[in-house]
Amino acid sequence: MSLFKAEGLVKRFGGLLATDHVDLAVEAGEIHALIGPNGAGKSTLVNVISGLLPADAGRIVLDGTALTTLAPHQRSRHGLARCFQITSVFRNDSVRDNLVLAVQAHAGSSFRCLARRDAERALQQRAEALAQRVGLAEVLERNAGTLPHGVQKRLDVALALASQPKLLLLDEPMAGMGPEDSQQMVALIRGLSSEMAILLIEHDMDAVFQLADRISVLVYGKVLTSGDAAHVRGHAEVQAVYLGTAAPA
Amino acid sequence: MLALLAAFPLIAPALGFEYYVGFVRRVLIVAIAATSLNFILGYGGMAALGHAGFIGVGAYTVVALVEAGFSSAWLAWGSAAVAAGLAAAAIGAVSLRTRGVYFIMITLAFAQMLYYLAVSLRTYGGDDGYGLYTPLALGVWLDGAHAQVFYWVVLAIAAAVFALFSRVAHSRYGHALRGIRDNETRMVALGYPVYGLKLAGFAAAGAVAGLAGGLLASHNAFVSPGMMHWTQSALLLVMVMLGGLGRRWGAALGVALWLTLEEVLKQYTDYWHWPLGLLLVLVVFHAPQGVAALFERRGGKGAVR
Repeated sequence: MSLFKAEGLVKRFGGLLATDHVDLAVEAGEIHALIGPNGAGKSTLVNVISGLLPADAGRIVLDGTALTTLAPHQRSRHGLARCFQITSVFRNDSVRDNLVLAVQAHAGSSFRCLARRDAERALQQRAEALAQRVGLAEVLERNAGTLPHGVQKRLDVALALASQPKLLLLDEPMAGMGPEDSQQMVALIRGLSSEMAILLIEHDMDAVFQLADRISVLVYGKVLTSGDAAHVRGHAEVQAVYLGTAAPA
Repeated sequence: MLALLAAFPLIAPALGFEYYVGFVRRVLIVAIAATSLNFILGYGGMAALGHAGFIGVGAYTVVALVEAGFSSAWLAWGSAAVAAGLAAAAIGAVSLRTRGVYFIMITLAFAQMLYYLAVSLRTYGGDDGYGLYTPLALGVWLDGAHAQVFYWVVLAIAAAVFALFSRVAHSRYGHALRGIRDNETRMVALGYPVYGLKLAGFAAAGAVAGLAGGLLASHNAFVSPGMMHWTQSALLLVMVMLGGLGRRWGAALGVALWLTLEEVLKQYTDYWHWPLGLLLVLVVFHAPQGVAALFERRGGKGAVR
Protein backbone atom coordinates (compact mmCIF):
# COMPACT_ATOMS: atom_id res chain seq x y z
CA MET A 1 0.00 0.00 0.00
CA SER A 2 1.54 3.25 -1.10
CA LEU A 3 1.79 6.17 1.31
CA PHE A 4 0.25 8.47 -1.27
CA LYS A 5 -2.01 7.60 -4.12
CA ALA A 6 -3.75 9.69 -6.75
CA GLU A 7 -6.19 7.82 -8.97
CA GLY A 8 -7.85 9.05 -12.13
CA LEU A 9 -7.28 12.73 -11.37
CA VAL A 10 -8.91 15.05 -13.86
CA LYS A 11 -8.75 18.83 -14.08
CA ARG A 12 -10.35 20.73 -16.91
CA PHE A 13 -10.03 24.40 -17.78
CA GLY A 14 -12.89 24.86 -20.21
CA GLY A 15 -12.04 22.59 -23.13
CA LEU A 16 -8.47 22.01 -21.99
CA LEU A 17 -7.75 18.79 -20.18
CA ALA A 18 -4.87 20.00 -18.00
CA THR A 19 -4.81 16.87 -15.88
CA ASP A 20 -5.88 13.83 -17.87
CA HIS A 21 -6.75 10.83 -15.68
CA VAL A 22 -3.48 10.86 -13.78
CA ASP A 23 -2.54 7.91 -11.58
CA LEU A 24 0.40 8.52 -9.32
CA ALA A 25 1.79 6.76 -6.28
CA VAL A 26 4.50 7.80 -3.88
CA GLU A 27 5.95 5.24 -1.48
CA ALA A 28 7.10 6.05 2.02
CA GLY A 29 10.68 7.32 2.05
CA GLU A 30 10.68 7.78 -1.69
CA ILE A 31 11.62 10.78 -3.79
CA HIS A 32 9.35 10.63 -6.77
CA ALA A 33 10.18 13.12 -9.49
CA LEU A 34 7.64 14.46 -11.92
CA ILE A 35 9.11 15.81 -15.12
CA GLY A 36 7.65 17.02 -18.35
CA PRO A 37 7.95 19.83 -20.88
CA ASN A 38 6.53 23.29 -20.23
CA GLY A 39 2.76 23.26 -20.27
CA ALA A 40 2.56 19.55 -19.48
CA GLY A 41 0.36 20.35 -16.47
CA LYS A 42 2.85 19.75 -13.66
CA SER A 43 1.94 22.80 -11.62
CA THR A 44 -1.75 22.17 -12.19
CA LEU A 45 -1.27 18.68 -10.83
CA VAL A 46 0.47 20.02 -7.72
CA ASN A 47 -2.35 22.53 -7.23
CA VAL A 48 -4.95 19.79 -7.58
CA ILE A 49 -3.14 17.51 -5.14
CA SER A 50 -2.65 20.28 -2.58
CA GLY A 51 -6.27 21.33 -3.02
CA LEU A 52 -5.74 24.88 -4.27
CA LEU A 53 -7.59 23.75 -7.39
CA PRO A 54 -10.55 21.40 -6.97
CA ALA A 55 -10.30 18.19 -8.97
CA ASP A 56 -13.05 17.45 -11.48
CA ALA A 57 -12.68 13.72 -10.92
CA GLY A 58 -10.47 11.23 -9.18
CA ARG A 59 -9.30 10.28 -5.74
CA ILE A 60 -6.42 11.38 -3.54
CA VAL A 61 -5.39 9.28 -0.55
CA LEU A 62 -2.59 10.02 1.89
CA ASP A 63 -1.69 7.47 4.55
CA GLY A 64 -5.16 5.93 4.44
CA THR A 65 -7.06 9.24 4.57
CA ALA A 66 -9.07 10.37 1.57
CA LEU A 67 -8.13 13.98 0.90
CA THR A 68 -10.18 14.49 -2.23
CA THR A 69 -13.00 16.49 -0.69
CA LEU A 70 -10.93 18.26 1.96
CA ALA A 71 -10.03 21.94 1.83
CA PRO A 72 -6.33 22.71 1.34
CA HIS A 73 -5.78 23.70 4.97
CA GLN A 74 -7.32 20.41 6.09
CA ARG A 75 -5.02 18.49 3.75
CA SER A 76 -2.15 20.27 5.46
CA ARG A 77 -3.39 18.96 8.80
CA HIS A 78 -3.36 15.44 7.41
CA GLY A 79 0.28 15.64 6.50
CA LEU A 80 0.46 17.25 3.07
CA ALA A 81 2.76 20.23 2.59
CA ARG A 82 3.92 22.11 -0.45
CA CYS A 83 6.32 24.69 -1.79
CA PHE A 84 5.71 27.11 -4.58
CA GLN A 85 7.34 27.45 -7.97
CA ILE A 86 7.25 31.23 -7.58
CA THR A 87 8.80 31.70 -4.17
CA SER A 88 6.02 32.34 -1.72
CA VAL A 89 7.26 33.75 1.57
CA PHE A 90 6.18 36.69 3.72
CA ARG A 91 8.52 39.22 2.18
CA ASN A 92 7.98 42.04 4.67
CA ASP A 93 8.62 39.89 7.73
CA SER A 94 11.84 38.59 9.21
CA VAL A 95 12.86 35.00 8.56
CA ARG A 96 12.07 34.35 12.22
CA ASP A 97 8.52 35.69 11.90
CA ASN A 98 8.06 33.66 8.71
CA LEU A 99 9.03 30.48 10.48
CA VAL A 100 7.05 31.23 13.65
CA LEU A 101 3.96 31.83 11.53
CA ALA A 102 4.46 28.49 9.81
CA VAL A 103 5.00 26.67 13.12
CA GLN A 104 2.00 28.39 14.69
CA ALA A 105 -0.35 26.92 12.08
CA HIS A 106 0.09 23.45 13.55
CA ALA A 107 0.60 24.22 17.22
CA GLY A 108 -2.68 25.04 18.88
CA SER A 109 -5.38 27.46 17.86
CA SER A 110 -4.73 30.58 15.83
CA PHE A 111 -7.96 32.05 17.14
CA ARG A 112 -6.21 32.92 20.41
CA CYS A 113 -6.40 36.67 20.39
CA LEU A 114 -5.28 38.10 23.72
CA ALA A 115 -1.97 36.54 24.71
CA ARG A 116 1.12 38.01 23.06
CA ARG A 117 2.37 35.48 20.55
CA ASP A 118 6.02 36.35 20.63
CA ALA A 119 6.09 35.52 24.32
CA GLU A 120 5.51 31.85 23.48
CA ARG A 121 8.94 30.28 23.86
CA ALA A 122 7.91 26.97 22.33
CA LEU A 123 7.03 28.57 18.98
CA GLN A 124 10.29 30.51 18.91
CA GLN A 125 12.34 27.44 19.71
CA ARG A 126 10.73 25.36 17.01
CA ALA A 127 11.27 28.17 14.51
CA GLU A 128 14.93 28.36 15.50
CA ALA A 129 15.35 24.61 15.18
CA LEU A 130 13.79 24.76 11.73
CA ALA A 131 16.15 27.56 10.71
CA GLN A 132 19.11 25.49 11.91
CA ARG A 133 17.86 22.55 9.92
CA VAL A 134 17.71 24.31 6.55
CA GLY A 135 20.68 26.61 7.12
CA LEU A 136 18.88 29.85 7.82
CA ALA A 137 20.12 30.39 11.37
CA GLU A 138 22.49 33.14 10.23
CA VAL A 139 19.77 35.21 8.62
CA LEU A 140 17.04 34.71 11.21
CA GLU A 141 16.49 38.41 11.83
CA ARG A 142 16.79 39.53 8.21
CA ASN A 143 13.75 40.57 6.22
CA ALA A 144 12.78 37.72 3.94
CA GLY A 145 12.31 39.99 0.93
CA THR A 146 15.90 41.23 1.11
CA LEU A 147 17.46 37.76 0.93
CA PRO A 148 19.05 36.32 -2.21
CA HIS A 149 16.82 34.13 -4.35
CA GLY A 150 18.41 30.85 -3.32
CA VAL A 151 18.00 31.63 0.36
CA GLN A 152 14.36 32.61 -0.14
CA LYS A 153 13.80 29.26 -1.85
CA ARG A 154 15.22 27.49 1.21
CA LEU A 155 12.87 29.53 3.40
CA ASP A 156 9.98 28.46 1.17
CA VAL A 157 10.93 24.82 1.82
CA ALA A 158 11.34 25.50 5.54
CA LEU A 159 7.81 26.94 5.74
CA ALA A 160 6.48 23.68 4.33
CA LEU A 161 8.54 21.61 6.76
CA ALA A 162 7.02 23.33 9.79
CA SER A 163 4.01 21.02 9.69
CA GLN A 164 6.24 17.91 9.74
CA PRO A 165 4.48 16.54 6.67
CA LYS A 166 4.21 12.96 5.53
CA LEU A 167 4.32 14.04 1.90
CA LEU A 168 6.13 17.12 0.67
CA LEU A 169 5.29 18.57 -2.74
CA LEU A 170 8.21 20.52 -4.16
CA ASP A 171 7.28 22.62 -7.19
CA GLU A 172 10.55 23.42 -8.94
CA PRO A 173 12.68 24.13 -5.87
CA MET A 174 15.74 24.79 -8.04
CA ALA A 175 14.02 27.20 -10.42
CA GLY A 176 16.22 30.17 -11.22
CA MET A 177 19.11 28.96 -9.08
CA GLY A 178 22.81 28.97 -9.81
CA PRO A 179 24.80 25.72 -9.57
CA GLU A 180 25.98 26.37 -6.01
CA ASP A 181 22.50 27.06 -4.63
CA SER A 182 21.20 24.07 -6.57
CA GLN A 183 23.70 21.74 -4.94
CA GLN A 184 22.75 23.06 -1.51
CA MET A 185 19.10 22.42 -2.31
CA VAL A 186 19.88 18.91 -3.55
CA ALA A 187 21.65 18.16 -0.27
CA LEU A 188 18.74 19.59 1.72
CA ILE A 189 16.15 17.53 -0.18
CA ARG A 190 18.20 14.35 0.14
CA GLY A 191 18.42 14.96 3.90
CA LEU A 192 14.66 15.27 4.13
CA SER A 193 13.87 12.06 2.33
CA SER A 194 14.51 9.88 5.38
CA GLU A 195 11.63 11.60 7.19
CA MET A 196 9.03 12.13 4.52
CA ALA A 197 8.02 11.12 1.05
CA ILE A 198 8.70 13.76 -1.58
CA LEU A 199 7.03 14.51 -4.88
CA LEU A 200 9.56 16.60 -6.75
CA ILE A 201 8.76 18.64 -9.81
CA GLU A 202 11.90 19.89 -11.42
CA HIS A 203 13.34 21.06 -14.71
CA ASP A 204 16.96 20.63 -13.62
CA MET A 205 17.66 17.15 -14.98
CA ASP A 206 20.94 16.78 -13.13
CA ALA A 207 19.12 17.32 -9.85
CA VAL A 208 16.33 14.95 -10.83
CA PHE A 209 18.70 12.14 -11.75
CA GLN A 210 20.70 12.72 -8.56
CA LEU A 211 17.70 12.64 -6.29
CA ALA A 212 14.84 10.64 -7.69
CA ASP A 213 14.11 7.04 -6.79
CA ARG A 214 11.42 7.02 -9.39
CA ILE A 215 10.49 9.37 -12.21
CA SER A 216 7.13 9.95 -13.86
CA VAL A 217 6.91 11.81 -17.12
CA LEU A 218 3.92 14.05 -17.69
CA VAL A 219 3.00 15.07 -21.23
CA TYR A 220 -0.17 16.95 -22.14
CA GLY A 221 -1.62 16.24 -18.71
CA LYS A 222 -1.07 12.48 -19.02
CA VAL A 223 1.49 10.24 -17.37
CA LEU A 224 3.54 8.93 -20.28
CA THR A 225 5.65 6.51 -18.29
CA SER A 226 6.93 5.88 -14.81
CA GLY A 227 10.09 4.15 -13.64
CA ASP A 228 13.64 4.57 -12.43
CA ALA A 229 16.19 6.87 -14.04
CA ALA A 230 17.50 4.23 -16.44
CA HIS A 231 14.01 3.35 -17.60
CA VAL A 232 13.11 6.96 -18.28
CA ARG A 233 16.38 7.73 -20.00
CA GLY A 234 15.95 4.72 -22.25
CA HIS A 235 12.30 5.35 -23.07
CA ALA A 236 12.08 6.29 -26.71
CA GLU A 237 8.97 8.44 -26.46
CA VAL A 238 10.38 10.36 -23.51
CA GLN A 239 13.51 11.08 -25.46
CA ALA A 240 11.41 12.35 -28.31
CA VAL A 241 9.10 14.66 -26.39
CA TYR A 242 11.27 15.78 -23.59
CA LEU A 243 14.96 15.10 -23.52
CA GLY A 244 15.60 15.63 -27.20
CA THR A 245 16.78 12.85 -29.46
CA ALA A 246 19.85 11.85 -27.46
CA ALA A 247 19.74 11.00 -23.76
CA PRO A 248 22.10 13.07 -21.61
CA ALA A 249 25.23 11.28 -20.50
CA MET B 1 -3.11 61.75 25.83
CA LEU B 2 -5.78 59.80 27.66
CA ALA B 3 -5.44 62.08 30.70
CA LEU B 4 -5.71 65.13 28.48
CA LEU B 5 -8.86 63.79 26.85
CA ALA B 6 -10.29 62.84 30.23
CA ALA B 7 -9.66 66.32 31.61
CA PHE B 8 -11.00 68.09 28.54
CA PRO B 9 -14.62 68.54 29.73
CA LEU B 10 -13.28 70.12 32.93
CA ILE B 11 -10.96 72.62 31.28
CA ALA B 12 -13.08 73.34 28.24
CA PRO B 13 -15.48 75.79 29.93
CA ALA B 14 -12.57 77.89 31.19
CA LEU B 15 -11.26 78.18 27.63
CA GLY B 16 -14.68 78.81 26.14
CA PHE B 17 -14.56 75.47 24.30
CA GLU B 18 -17.67 74.00 25.87
CA TYR B 19 -19.19 73.37 22.49
CA TYR B 20 -16.25 71.21 21.55
CA VAL B 21 -16.83 68.66 24.30
CA GLY B 22 -19.61 67.27 22.15
CA PHE B 23 -17.38 67.46 19.11
CA VAL B 24 -14.58 65.47 20.73
CA ARG B 25 -17.15 62.93 21.87
CA ARG B 26 -18.26 62.49 18.27
CA VAL B 27 -14.64 62.13 17.14
CA LEU B 28 -14.15 59.38 19.73
CA ILE B 29 -17.23 57.50 18.59
CA VAL B 30 -16.31 57.68 14.92
CA ALA B 31 -12.76 56.66 15.86
CA ILE B 32 -14.15 53.48 17.46
CA ALA B 33 -15.87 52.60 14.19
CA ALA B 34 -12.80 53.54 12.13
CA THR B 35 -10.55 51.43 14.36
CA SER B 36 -12.68 48.38 13.68
CA LEU B 37 -12.49 49.07 9.94
CA ASN B 38 -8.74 49.55 10.20
CA PHE B 39 -8.57 46.16 11.86
CA ILE B 40 -10.16 44.22 9.00
CA LEU B 41 -8.79 46.39 6.20
CA GLY B 42 -5.35 47.35 7.48
CA TYR B 43 -4.52 44.12 9.29
CA GLY B 44 -6.81 41.69 7.50
CA GLY B 45 -6.67 43.06 3.97
CA MET B 46 -10.46 42.97 3.68
CA ALA B 47 -11.50 46.06 1.74
CA ALA B 48 -15.06 46.33 3.05
CA LEU B 49 -17.12 49.17 1.67
CA GLY B 50 -20.15 48.57 3.83
CA HIS B 51 -18.97 49.35 7.31
CA ALA B 52 -21.54 52.09 7.85
CA GLY B 53 -24.16 49.37 7.45
CA PHE B 54 -23.04 47.84 10.75
CA ILE B 55 -23.00 51.26 12.41
CA GLY B 56 -26.58 51.55 11.23
CA VAL B 57 -27.57 48.13 12.55
CA GLY B 58 -26.21 49.20 15.94
CA ALA B 59 -28.05 52.52 15.87
CA TYR B 60 -31.35 50.94 14.84
CA THR B 61 -30.98 48.27 17.52
CA VAL B 62 -30.95 51.09 20.06
CA VAL B 63 -34.02 52.60 18.40
CA ALA B 64 -35.83 49.27 18.47
CA LEU B 65 -35.11 48.77 22.17
CA VAL B 66 -36.17 52.31 23.05
CA GLU B 67 -39.35 51.87 21.02
CA ALA B 68 -39.98 48.65 22.94
CA GLY B 69 -39.69 50.50 26.21
CA PHE B 70 -36.18 49.65 27.38
CA SER B 71 -34.08 52.47 28.77
CA SER B 72 -30.80 50.94 29.94
CA ALA B 73 -27.88 52.32 27.96
CA TRP B 74 -25.71 49.27 28.62
CA LEU B 75 -28.42 46.90 27.41
CA ALA B 76 -28.98 49.06 24.32
CA TRP B 77 -25.32 49.44 23.39
CA GLY B 78 -24.53 45.84 24.20
CA SER B 79 -27.40 44.67 22.02
CA ALA B 80 -26.25 47.05 19.30
CA ALA B 81 -22.85 45.32 19.27
CA VAL B 82 -24.39 41.83 19.31
CA ALA B 83 -26.90 42.59 16.55
CA ALA B 84 -24.26 44.18 14.32
CA GLY B 85 -21.88 41.31 15.03
CA LEU B 86 -24.50 38.80 13.93
CA ALA B 87 -25.30 40.84 10.83
CA ALA B 88 -21.58 41.01 10.02
CA ALA B 89 -21.20 37.26 10.54
CA ALA B 90 -24.05 36.57 8.11
CA ILE B 91 -22.89 39.11 5.53
CA GLY B 92 -19.26 38.06 5.93
CA ALA B 93 -20.15 34.39 5.49
CA VAL B 94 -21.30 35.21 1.96
CA SER B 95 -18.98 38.11 1.08
CA LEU B 96 -15.75 36.44 2.19
CA ARG B 97 -16.16 33.85 -0.54
CA THR B 98 -15.24 36.61 -2.98
CA ARG B 99 -12.01 38.57 -3.44
CA GLY B 100 -10.80 42.00 -4.44
CA VAL B 101 -13.21 44.20 -6.32
CA TYR B 102 -16.01 41.65 -5.92
CA PHE B 103 -15.61 41.82 -2.16
CA ILE B 104 -15.85 45.61 -2.26
CA MET B 105 -18.99 45.45 -4.39
CA ILE B 106 -20.74 42.74 -2.39
CA THR B 107 -20.15 44.44 0.97
CA LEU B 108 -21.39 47.66 -0.60
CA ALA B 109 -24.49 45.87 -1.89
CA PHE B 110 -25.31 44.37 1.50
CA ALA B 111 -24.88 47.73 3.23
CA GLN B 112 -27.21 49.36 0.71
CA MET B 113 -29.76 46.62 1.39
CA LEU B 114 -29.58 47.53 5.08
CA TYR B 115 -29.95 51.19 4.12
CA TYR B 116 -33.13 50.56 2.17
CA LEU B 117 -34.41 48.30 4.92
CA ALA B 118 -34.04 51.25 7.33
CA VAL B 119 -35.78 53.55 4.87
CA SER B 120 -38.71 51.16 4.71
CA LEU B 121 -39.08 50.82 8.48
CA ARG B 122 -42.07 53.13 9.02
CA THR B 123 -42.27 52.42 12.76
CA TYR B 124 -38.77 53.78 13.19
CA GLY B 125 -39.36 56.90 11.14
CA GLY B 126 -38.40 55.59 7.72
CA ASP B 127 -36.67 58.27 5.69
CA ASP B 128 -37.27 60.94 8.32
CA GLY B 129 -35.33 59.17 11.01
CA TYR B 130 -36.14 58.65 14.64
CA GLY B 131 -35.57 61.03 17.53
CA LEU B 132 -34.34 59.64 20.87
CA TYR B 133 -35.77 62.29 23.15
CA THR B 134 -34.96 60.75 26.52
CA PRO B 135 -31.31 59.93 27.14
CA LEU B 136 -30.65 56.31 28.00
CA ALA B 137 -30.03 55.46 31.64
CA LEU B 138 -26.42 54.60 32.42
CA GLY B 139 -26.95 53.06 35.84
CA VAL B 140 -27.41 53.80 39.51
CA TRP B 141 -24.87 56.50 40.03
CA LEU B 142 -24.13 57.58 36.48
CA ASP B 143 -26.42 60.30 35.23
CA GLY B 144 -27.19 59.58 31.61
CA ALA B 145 -28.49 63.07 30.94
CA HIS B 146 -25.22 64.61 32.04
CA ALA B 147 -23.14 65.53 28.99
CA GLN B 148 -19.82 65.11 30.78
CA VAL B 149 -20.66 61.69 32.18
CA PHE B 150 -21.59 60.47 28.71
CA TYR B 151 -18.33 61.93 27.41
CA TRP B 152 -16.30 59.97 29.94
CA VAL B 153 -18.21 56.79 29.25
CA VAL B 154 -17.48 57.16 25.55
CA LEU B 155 -13.83 57.90 26.28
CA ALA B 156 -13.55 54.81 28.47
CA ILE B 157 -15.15 52.61 25.81
CA ALA B 158 -12.91 54.07 23.10
CA ALA B 159 -9.82 53.49 25.24
CA ALA B 160 -10.90 49.91 25.90
CA VAL B 161 -11.50 49.28 22.19
CA PHE B 162 -8.07 50.67 21.21
CA ALA B 163 -6.36 48.67 23.94
CA LEU B 164 -8.18 45.53 22.84
CA PHE B 165 -7.28 45.89 19.18
CA SER B 166 -3.61 46.66 19.91
CA ARG B 167 -3.49 43.58 22.05
CA VAL B 168 -5.12 41.42 19.43
CA ALA B 169 -2.67 42.75 16.82
CA HIS B 170 0.21 41.06 18.66
CA SER B 171 -1.61 37.82 19.41
CA ARG B 172 -1.52 34.61 17.41
CA TYR B 173 -4.72 35.71 15.77
CA GLY B 174 -3.32 39.13 14.82
CA HIS B 175 -0.23 37.57 13.27
CA ALA B 176 -2.34 35.07 11.35
CA LEU B 177 -4.58 37.84 10.06
CA ARG B 178 -1.61 39.83 8.76
CA GLY B 179 -0.23 36.69 7.18
CA ILE B 180 -3.51 36.32 5.29
CA ARG B 181 -3.31 39.94 4.17
CA ASP B 182 0.23 39.50 2.89
CA ASN B 183 0.01 36.05 1.31
CA GLU B 184 -3.32 34.29 1.51
CA THR B 185 -2.41 31.33 -0.71
CA ARG B 186 0.61 30.51 1.39
CA MET B 187 -1.47 30.72 4.56
CA VAL B 188 -3.92 28.22 3.11
CA ALA B 189 -1.06 25.91 2.16
CA LEU B 190 0.43 26.26 5.64
CA GLY B 191 -2.80 24.86 7.06
CA TYR B 192 -4.56 27.98 8.33
CA PRO B 193 -8.37 27.96 8.26
CA VAL B 194 -8.25 31.24 6.36
CA TYR B 195 -11.97 31.61 5.78
CA GLY B 196 -12.83 31.08 9.43
CA LEU B 197 -10.12 33.44 10.61
CA LYS B 198 -11.31 36.18 8.28
CA LEU B 199 -14.94 35.64 9.22
CA ALA B 200 -14.16 35.95 12.93
CA GLY B 201 -12.36 39.25 12.31
CA PHE B 202 -15.13 40.54 10.09
CA ALA B 203 -17.82 39.72 12.66
CA ALA B 204 -15.81 41.24 15.52
CA ALA B 205 -15.22 44.42 13.53
CA GLY B 206 -18.94 44.53 12.71
CA ALA B 207 -19.78 44.21 16.39
CA VAL B 208 -17.49 47.08 17.33
CA ALA B 209 -18.92 49.21 14.51
CA GLY B 210 -22.38 48.39 15.88
CA LEU B 211 -21.29 49.52 19.32
CA ALA B 212 -20.10 52.79 17.77
CA GLY B 213 -23.48 53.03 16.03
CA GLY B 214 -25.29 52.62 19.35
CA LEU B 215 -23.14 55.33 20.90
CA LEU B 216 -23.69 57.57 17.90
CA ALA B 217 -27.45 57.16 18.27
CA SER B 218 -27.19 58.39 21.85
CA HIS B 219 -24.78 61.15 20.87
CA ASN B 220 -27.00 62.54 18.13
CA ALA B 221 -30.23 61.68 19.97
CA PHE B 222 -31.33 60.89 16.46
CA VAL B 223 -31.02 58.02 14.02
CA SER B 224 -31.68 58.13 10.30
CA PRO B 225 -30.95 55.87 7.34
CA GLY B 226 -28.47 58.50 6.13
CA MET B 227 -25.88 57.29 8.63
CA MET B 228 -25.66 53.95 6.83
CA HIS B 229 -25.58 55.27 3.29
CA TRP B 230 -22.64 53.90 1.32
CA THR B 231 -21.02 57.34 1.16
CA GLN B 232 -20.61 57.07 4.94
CA SER B 233 -18.76 53.78 4.47
CA ALA B 234 -16.54 55.45 1.88
CA LEU B 235 -15.89 58.39 4.18
CA LEU B 236 -14.86 56.03 6.96
CA LEU B 237 -12.51 54.31 4.52
CA VAL B 238 -11.01 57.65 3.49
CA MET B 239 -10.43 58.64 7.11
CA VAL B 240 -8.68 55.35 7.87
CA MET B 241 -6.44 55.69 4.82
CA LEU B 242 -5.70 59.32 5.63
CA GLY B 243 -4.55 58.28 9.09
CA GLY B 244 -2.61 55.22 8.02
CA LEU B 245 -3.86 51.79 7.05
CA GLY B 246 -2.83 49.02 9.40
CA ARG B 247 -1.23 51.38 11.89
CA ARG B 248 -2.22 51.37 15.50
CA TRP B 249 -3.10 55.06 15.70
CA GLY B 250 -3.96 55.40 12.04
CA ALA B 251 -7.71 55.23 12.33
CA ALA B 252 -8.03 57.52 15.35
CA LEU B 253 -5.62 60.03 13.86
CA GLY B 254 -7.39 60.04 10.51
CA VAL B 255 -10.79 60.57 12.10
CA ALA B 256 -9.53 63.34 14.39
CA LEU B 257 -7.77 65.11 11.53
CA TRP B 258 -10.64 64.85 9.07
CA LEU B 259 -13.44 65.84 11.44
CA THR B 260 -11.40 68.69 12.97
CA LEU B 261 -10.57 70.13 9.57
CA GLU B 262 -14.18 69.75 8.51
CA GLU B 263 -15.33 71.53 11.65
CA VAL B 264 -12.82 74.38 11.26
CA LEU B 265 -13.23 74.82 7.53
CA LYS B 266 -17.01 74.93 7.81
CA GLN B 267 -16.68 78.12 9.86
CA TYR B 268 -14.93 79.90 7.01
CA THR B 269 -16.46 78.57 3.88
CA ASP B 270 -19.37 76.58 2.53
CA TYR B 271 -16.96 74.96 0.13
CA TRP B 272 -15.07 73.01 2.78
CA HIS B 273 -14.90 69.92 0.57
CA TRP B 274 -12.30 71.61 -1.60
CA PRO B 275 -9.45 71.93 0.90
CA LEU B 276 -10.21 68.49 2.32
CA GLY B 277 -10.01 67.01 -1.16
CA LEU B 278 -6.74 68.82 -1.70
CA LEU B 279 -5.41 67.44 1.57
CA LEU B 280 -6.32 63.94 0.45
CA VAL B 281 -4.46 64.38 -2.83
CA LEU B 282 -1.42 65.66 -0.93
CA VAL B 283 -1.50 62.72 1.45
CA VAL B 284 -1.80 60.25 -1.41
CA PHE B 285 1.28 61.72 -3.09
CA HIS B 286 3.47 62.58 -0.12
CA ALA B 287 2.40 60.21 2.64
CA PRO B 288 0.79 57.21 0.95
CA GLN B 289 1.22 55.27 4.21
CA GLY B 290 -0.99 57.81 5.95
CA VAL B 291 -0.34 60.60 8.40
CA ALA B 292 0.48 58.17 11.22
CA ALA B 293 3.49 57.00 9.21
CA LEU B 294 4.94 60.52 9.28
CA PHE B 295 5.09 60.35 13.04
CA GLU B 296 6.87 57.05 13.12
CA ARG B 297 10.54 56.81 12.41
CA ARG B 298 11.26 54.60 9.48
CA GLY B 299 11.10 50.99 10.66
CA GLY B 300 10.22 52.23 14.13
CA LYS B 301 8.46 50.12 16.71
CA GLY B 302 5.21 52.02 16.34
CA ALA B 303 4.43 50.36 13.06
CA VAL B 304 2.67 47.06 13.26
CA ARG B 305 3.17 45.90 9.75
